[in-house]
Amino acid sequence: MPTMNRREFLKASAALMAGATFAGASKFLSSSGFQGTNKPSILMFVFDAMSARHLSLYGYERETTPNLKRFAERASVYHNHYSGGNFTTTGTASMLTGLNPWTHRALNYRGMVDRHLTDRNLFRLMGNEYTRLAFTQNLWADILLNQFESDIDIHLPCDSYSHFIHSSIQPDDLPSDRRMAYYAFQDFINLRVDDPNAFPGSLLMASSDLARALVPNRNHISDDYPRGLPTNYDYSYENASVLDGVGGLVKHSLVQSEPYLAYFHLWSPHDPYNARKDFIGMFEQDLPLQAKARHPFSGGNHSETTLRQFRLEYDEFIADLDAEFGRVITDLERSGVLQNSYVIVTSDHGEIFERGELGHATALMYAPVTHIPLLISAPGQVSRSGFHAATSNVDLLPTILNIAGKEIPQWVEGRLLPGFGGAEDPTRSIFPMMGKDNAAFQPIKHATFVLIKNGYELIFYTGYPGHDDQFELYHLDEDPQELQNLFSKDITAASHMKDELLEAIHAANRNFEKK
Amino acid sequence: MRKRLPEFQSIVQVYAVIAVMLAGWTITAFLWKLSAWLLLLTLGEVFTIFAYAMAANFLESIIIMLLLLTACIVLPASVLRDQFVARGSILSIGLVGSLMVFVGSLMQFGIERGLLLLIAPLFVLILMAFLLQRVSKLHRIRSIAVSFSDRVVVFLYLLVPLFAVASIYVILRNVS
Repeated sequence: MPTMNRREFLKASAALMAGATFAGASKFLSSSGFQGTNKPSILMFVFDAMSARHLSLYGYERETTPNLKRFAERASVYHNHYSGGNFTTTGTASMLTGLNPWTHRALNYRGMVDRHLTDRNLFRLMGNEYTRLAFTQNLWADILLNQFESDIDIHLPCDSYSHFIHSSIQPDDLPSDRRMAYYAFQDFINLRVDDPNAFPGSLLMASSDLARALVPNRNHISDDYPRGLPTNYDYSYENASVLDGVGGLVKHSLVQSEPYLAYFHLWSPHDPYNARKDFIGMFEQDLPLQAKARHPFSGGNHSETTLRQFRLEYDEFIADLDAEFGRVITDLERSGVLQNSYVIVTSDHGEIFERGELGHATALMYAPVTHIPLLISAPGQVSRSGFHAATSNVDLLPTILNIAGKEIPQWVEGRLLPGFGGAEDPTRSIFPMMGKDNAAFQPIKHATFVLIKNGYELIFYTGYPGHDDQFELYHLDEDPQELQNLFSKDITAASHMKDELLEAIHAANRNFEKK
Repeated sequence: MRKRLPEFQSIVQVYAVIAVMLAGWTITAFLWKLSAWLLLLTLGEVFTIFAYAMAANFLESIIIMLLLLTACIVLPASVLRDQFVARGSILSIGLVGSLMVFVGSLMQFGIERGLLLLIAPLFVLILMAFLLQRVSKLHRIRSIAVSFSDRVVVFLYLLVPLFAVASIYVILRNVS
C-alpha cells in the first residue's frame, strides 16, 4: 500500500481544497453568467531578478533569450522599462498596487504594503468578474499576496511544483493565517541553514531543519544540475517542472473559467544561478566589458574575475529559463488557449555585476538592477511594436485595468502604457528607489533615490553613515554603461532634476513627519 | 502505570527546567530580531510572532517532558524514576543543551562544516550520560541539579500563563 508522508498529505489536501475552490469559482462564474463574456484573460509571467541588460532580446551580446525574442515578434516590447525598486518587496509591491515605493511603503526586506492601503491592489480592482489566481515561488512576494488574500480566488502554495522542502513548517501549512505564519515560521521559528545571520526561534524545529540539511545525498542534487537544483533557499525546483505546472494549470483548469487574471511570479533567474547542464558552458567567449571601479556605496568588494564568473552563470540560467518558457508558451499557443488572452512578461527588479557589487538589494541603483523587461502580447497580435520612452512597473496596474475595461482609480500613480491607451512621453518622471533600512512608518531618510526623465538618470544617495549626500547624473541614451557622471557638467539638467526629485521626496515624507 | 511515574511535584520541577531553557533561547532570539521587525511590523504583528513562538515552545516542552515520562515507564526505576528531579534535570539540560550547541555551532561556523557540526552536541550528550551514570555517587552534582530545578520552577508562574495565552491566541487566529 503506498504511503504518504505529512507534507505529501498536506499538499494533497491543499490540492483538493484548491480544486474545490476552483470548482466553486467556476460554478459561481457559470451561474453568474460571466463565463463566455468578451473580456480578455490576462496571463502575467514575472521572472524574478531578470535584468533587461542581460537579454539578447534587448541587444545583449550573449544569445540568452532566443525564445523571448521569438515571442516578441508578436508583442509590444518596452525598451526602457524600470522597476520601482531593486529587490522583490519594493518592485513587486509597486507592480501590484500601481504606487511608488514611498507611497505603498513596502520598503524593507520582507516588508508589507501600508496596512491602510491593502485594498489598493490589482486583484481587487479586477473584481470578481475575473477568476483571480496568484502563485509565487518568492516568499517575500507571497507576503504581499497574503495581504491581498481576500481579493484572490485561488492562491497556490509557494512550494507547488517543487521537489525538496528545506523547512519543516511552511506558511501554507496555516492557510487561515498565512501572512503572519511567514514571519512566525520562515522569519523566526524555522532555521534557514544558508542564512549567515541565522538565529532561529525554536530549538527543536531548528535542529530538525539542520539535521535534514546534513543528511547526505539529498534529492536536490541531480546529475542534470551540476551546481545543484535551482532553489529559493526554501524549496528546490526545476524550471521545466514549474513552467509545465503553470502551463498545465492554464491549459486544463484556468481556461474553463475565463476571463481570468493569472499572476505567476517565478523565482528564476534569481540566484543561485543553477542552470541545467545543457546550458552550462554555452557561452564560451568572454564579453568585452569595461571594468568599473568599486563604488563607495557598494556592499561588496568582488573582483572583476568573480563578477564575470557570476555574470556568466546568470546568463546561462536565463538561457535555461528562456528555453523552458519558450517550450511552454508555444504549447499554450498551439493548443489555442491563449486566443483570448493577453500575455505579459516582466520582472520585479534586475541584477548587477559591476562596481564591486553582485546581485541586487544594494545601495547601487544603476540600470542593470532597475531596467527590467516588459513584453505584452495581445490576442491575435502578429507583429512586433517597440516603445522606447521610459516606462515604470507602476504602469502595469492601470494598463491591465484598461485592458479589462475597468475604471482606473484616481490614486493610481502609474500611467497607461503606450500601445494600450497611453502615449510615449519622454518628459515623464519615473522614481525607482531603495530604502530597505528605513522604518516603514517614518520619513525616508536613508535611501538611494532615482529620477529617470528625458533620457537622463539622476541618482541620489542620502543618509549613508560616513558619507555626505551625493548625486550622480547619467545620460542613458548616450552613455548606457553609466560611466560619465554629468552632475557637475550638465548643470541645467542636473539642477532641474535635483529640484524635482527633492520636492517629490519631501512631498512623500510630509505625511510621515511628526506633527 | 501511575506507580511507574514520578511524583507530580518532581514532574513539575523537571518540566520547569525544560520550559525555561527552551523559552530562554526563544526570548533571546526574539529580542535579537526585535529591532529589525520594528522597522516593518506593527506592535500587534510583533506580538503575533511572539505568540507563535511561545505556542511552539509549549508544544516542544510537552514533547520533551512526555519523552522523559515514557522513559520512566519503559526503563527500570533505578535508571530514571528514582531521584527523578536530579536525573530528569540532568537529562533535560543535556538534551536541550545539546540542541543549543548543535544550532549554535551552525550559527558560529556555517553549514559548510557539515557533519562536523555534530561533534560539540555529541560531547554534551556524552557528558550528560556520564553525569547520569554517576549521579547517585556524586552528591554535589545531584544537589546542583536539584537546586537548579528548585529555583527555575518559579518561572512557571510566568511561562505557563504565557504559553496558555499564546496557544489560545494562535488557535483563534487559525480557526477563524
